[in-house]
Amino acid sequence: MKLPVSWLREYVAVEVEPRKLGEDLTMAGLALEGLESDGKDAVLDLDVTTNRVDAMNVYGLAREVSVIYGLPLKPLDLSFTEKGAPASGAFDVTIEAADLCPRFCGRVLDVRMGPSPAWLRDRLEQMGVRPISNVVDLTNYVMLEMGQPSHAFDLAKVPQGRLSVRWAREGERLATLDGVERALHPRVGVVAGATGPLALAGIMGGASSEVSDDTRTVALEAAYWEPLAIRRAARSLGMHTEASHRFERGADPEGTVVATARIAHLLEKIGAGTTRPGLIDRVAAPKPRRTVSLRPSRVRAVLGIDVPADKTKTILTGLGFGVKAEDAGTLRLEAPTWRSDIAREDDVVEEIGRHYGLDEIPSSLPPAAAVGGLRPTQAEERTIREILVGAGCTEVVNYAFEAPTGGDGVVLANPLAEDQSVLRSSLVPGLLRAYDENARHGRKDLAIFEIGRVFKAGTSRPREERHLGILLAGSERKRHWSGKPRDFDFYDLKGILELLLERLGRGPLEVARAENVPSFLHPGQSAQILRDGKKVGLLGALRLTSRPGGASGGVMTLDLDFGGEPPPRDRFRALPRFPAVERDLSIVVDAGTAAEDVARRIREAGGSALVAVTVMDRYDRPPVPAGKVSLLLSLRYEDRERTLTGEEVQGSLDEVVRKLRAAGFDIRGE
Amino acid sequence: MADSENELREKVRELREEFDKLLPDARDLAVLQSLRDRFLGRKSGEVTALMKGLGQVAAEAKRDLGQALNTLKNDMTARLDEARALIETEAQQQVLTRDRVDVTLPGRRPPRGRRHPLTVTREELEDVFIAMGYEVYEGPEVDDDFHCFEALNMPPDHPARDMQDTFYLKGSKDLLLRTHTSTAQIRYMLENAHPPHVRIICPGKVFRRDSDITHSPMFQQIEGLVVGPGITLGHLKGTIEAFVHVLFGAERAVRFRPSYFPYTEPSVEVDLGCAVCFGKGVLPSGEPCRVCKQTGFVEILGSGMMNPAVFEAVNARLGKTVYDPEVVTGFAFGLGIERVAMMRHGIDDIRLFYGDDLRFLEQFRG
Repeated sequence: MKLPVSWLREYVAVEVEPRKLGEDLTMAGLALEGLESDGKDAVLDLDVTTNRVDAMNVYGLAREVSVIYGLPLKPLDLSFTEKGAPASGAFDVTIEAADLCPRFCGRVLDVRMGPSPAWLRDRLEQMGVRPISNVVDLTNYVMLEMGQPSHAFDLAKVPQGRLSVRWAREGERLATLDGVERALHPRVGVVAGATGPLALAGIMGGASSEVSDDTRTVALEAAYWEPLAIRRAARSLGMHTEASHRFERGADPEGTVVATARIAHLLEKIGAGTTRPGLIDRVAAPKPRRTVSLRPSRVRAVLGIDVPADKTKTILTGLGFGVKAEDAGTLRLEAPTWRSDIAREDDVVEEIGRHYGLDEIPSSLPPAAAVGGLRPTQAEERTIREILVGAGCTEVVNYAFEAPTGGDGVVLANPLAEDQSVLRSSLVPGLLRAYDENARHGRKDLAIFEIGRVFKAGTSRPREERHLGILLAGSERKRHWSGKPRDFDFYDLKGILELLLERLGRGPLEVARAENVPSFLHPGQSAQILRDGKKVGLLGALRLTSRPGGASGGVMTLDLDFGGEPPPRDRFRALPRFPAVERDLSIVVDAGTAAEDVARRIREAGGSALVAVTVMDRYDRPPVPAGKVSLLLSLRYEDRERTLTGEEVQGSLDEVVRKLRAAGFDIRGE
Repeated sequence: MADSENELREKVRELREEFDKLLPDARDLAVLQSLRDRFLGRKSGEVTALMKGLGQVAAEAKRDLGQALNTLKNDMTARLDEARALIETEAQQQVLTRDRVDVTLPGRRPPRGRRHPLTVTREELEDVFIAMGYEVYEGPEVDDDFHCFEALNMPPDHPARDMQDTFYLKGSKDLLLRTHTSTAQIRYMLENAHPPHVRIICPGKVFRRDSDITHSPMFQQIEGLVVGPGITLGHLKGTIEAFVHVLFGAERAVRFRPSYFPYTEPSVEVDLGCAVCFGKGVLPSGEPCRVCKQTGFVEILGSGMMNPAVFEAVNARLGKTVYDPEVVTGFAFGLGIERVAMMRHGIDDIRLFYGDDLRFLEQFRG
């Protein structure tokens, strides 16, 4: 909202220099956004919040300024001399829809069309409004001055001089002032003549009754429109005008009378015409002034300070409230008609707060009430980040939306773009995009991760899962003068997963070859992650053909649902008092045999003293026959109660060998 | 016997001379050992042999000669040890010299990762509030009209909804991506419908249909909510000053000015002294400061006292009055994490946070 200081000074004799004025308005809730000065006059640009439609005009701001500085606010000059035949003989209005138009005021003006005087044109230009003709300029001027939008009909083009205010009928059309022919519907209000709509109620006038150079008589409209009616109509028509902006936020029901008188006054003043006797004032739904009680105790409860009673009264009176004292200091207030935002006591507390000054309120911290902190899952999420960062991964954050993939994803009704139209169901696509993005400028070695929510279609609403995604690509570490680094492979990624699970005490998770992996993964280098037999994640190398940007080494990705509560804290176990015994076993198996399959058989056959089976080596070159692989496994025996004898260990080992041989494995040595 | 005595003395002198002549040429441990063997060897050492022959010397000369031989033996031993030590030291020195490394070459680093700058900022913010006794609460990113608007005093068709262009889910008039973390206020109060002492922050992602240099369709906020008997605007001011000072330093000016949000009353916008022009509105060069539009301040967060309408909406949904506006008051605040990170690090494009570019991410310690 622009505010020329010269205009402001017509109503309040404020002398402070413009920047200071802007700062003081800012501290009263009307934030200074810009200040332009051409030497003669300064124009403040103020950010008026959407609730303060009363301050979206010069006079409303003058009222604020008068309260800020304790200066008197001059009334608007509404005087004029009525001339000619009574207005009612030429013009009449009927309100047929009280839910659209609670009040409609009209005047009949005899005009001499022409350009406005220079001072008026300059004012409009200061406000960024293009001057058109004296009559149109006056309606704009008064709207900018005191907030009430009005509309001038060429009375000669209003059939029989009769208007009715009603909802549009299906199939009706109207060419509006902006030159657009619009199809109307019953949720749009119109001001209509006998032959059909002449204007869009509260939004824009129509072309057929527009004033022109030939206009001699004007039917002036200044109405109060139901905010919701205007808002819905404007939205359904895709329109937003100076008028609709004000009406949908709640204009002043009394502003209708004031605006018509002010226009009449100015018309006379610039010598552009006269006003016929009589105000046409139709009230279909009276809007009584709101009353609110204000208790000093409430002011104290909200603001934390006592505001002196006289100060409270000065502020409220200055803002236009009717103030009546009741017992115990309580005030009975009548809200000004222009303050549609005042509905309850706390609204008034805010008024006192902003004019008494927020700086007057001393700061303090609320008394301690409880111990705060992170929830276990939140603390765990921090730990996961620490672990991954320690393992060399850098965190990225991607948008929650992605391109549609054809599955049953969660789809946005109004996406910004087609490739952002579905909520992500995995973190992998985002990580691959991150790979592409970095590869595009030559960076192909990266280890990145993301922690975030993914969305799965649910019955009543989507399910949100906390996921971890990791992508490793290219070289395992930075190039160093001492030797060539190796490329990441499947086991680097699996190792990070193992480290993570161990650090979190989250297990056991099973990593198993998957039957149906998504097509972007290498079927031989990918696996699913299972918890209690349920799939919770997927890891693997990208299939060569799907590798983005020609990766030099492999690209590994992981996506894991780590939801659920973290495990309880670790329990201490007494240190072992008896020595452990380790034995090695060398086994030759078919190359396709899973090492875990062999280890599991050993664990099953080894008895209770066998506490760990570890794969120490894997060898598949000569002398190992083609198609075979030699595994070296280490078996660890331990008994917490006593020292194991050589015979016991050997007995277990013999049993293991027997079982493995029975399963067809070839034992090469112990 | 005097002859053999003299002979012996002569022999001692000769051996000493011979030893003196040979020792300087003994430059390695093997030669040194051969000298030791020749003169002091247990079986065939020449000094050993003389000591053995001492038995044939007259008693009165024996002591004298014995002393001379002992002295010779001790001298030789000492000098051999000394020579050996010297050679060993030199040998060690050679090894140390050979194994010297170029300490100026770069070290071999373990791989290095980093947290996202927004994570760093968010966790720091969380920690400030945790230290003040706040609980960290999270709500869903997909929420509904009630939690996002209606309960926050924004009924359908409320003009304030225009300020937050909303993403809706297909096939539902109700489900949406939350436009602010204020949804968590409502969810927490509904889930914790017991004697009302609330002190939470809610960090999280929020979504608005907007994308340019200062707007990202997804960004992150932290919402704060404190409710209880006796909570005032003074507490709101004190709390915000406390965390702003931790985050930006106590020398930065903080300004509270009236504003408007449907769910707070009074509403308070908080501004921070402009870091570019130091709150002057004008640069040292005399040019107007564009960062703060010459106002000397930049917006940092929105806040306010809880609008009783919000408590009433929660009570209505609970079907009982848990948050009686006559008994409890509260304040809420919400700030954009990107904005804080941008101000602290001097970042000028919000989209960089979500661009995955390691050249950007690796500029921060993480």
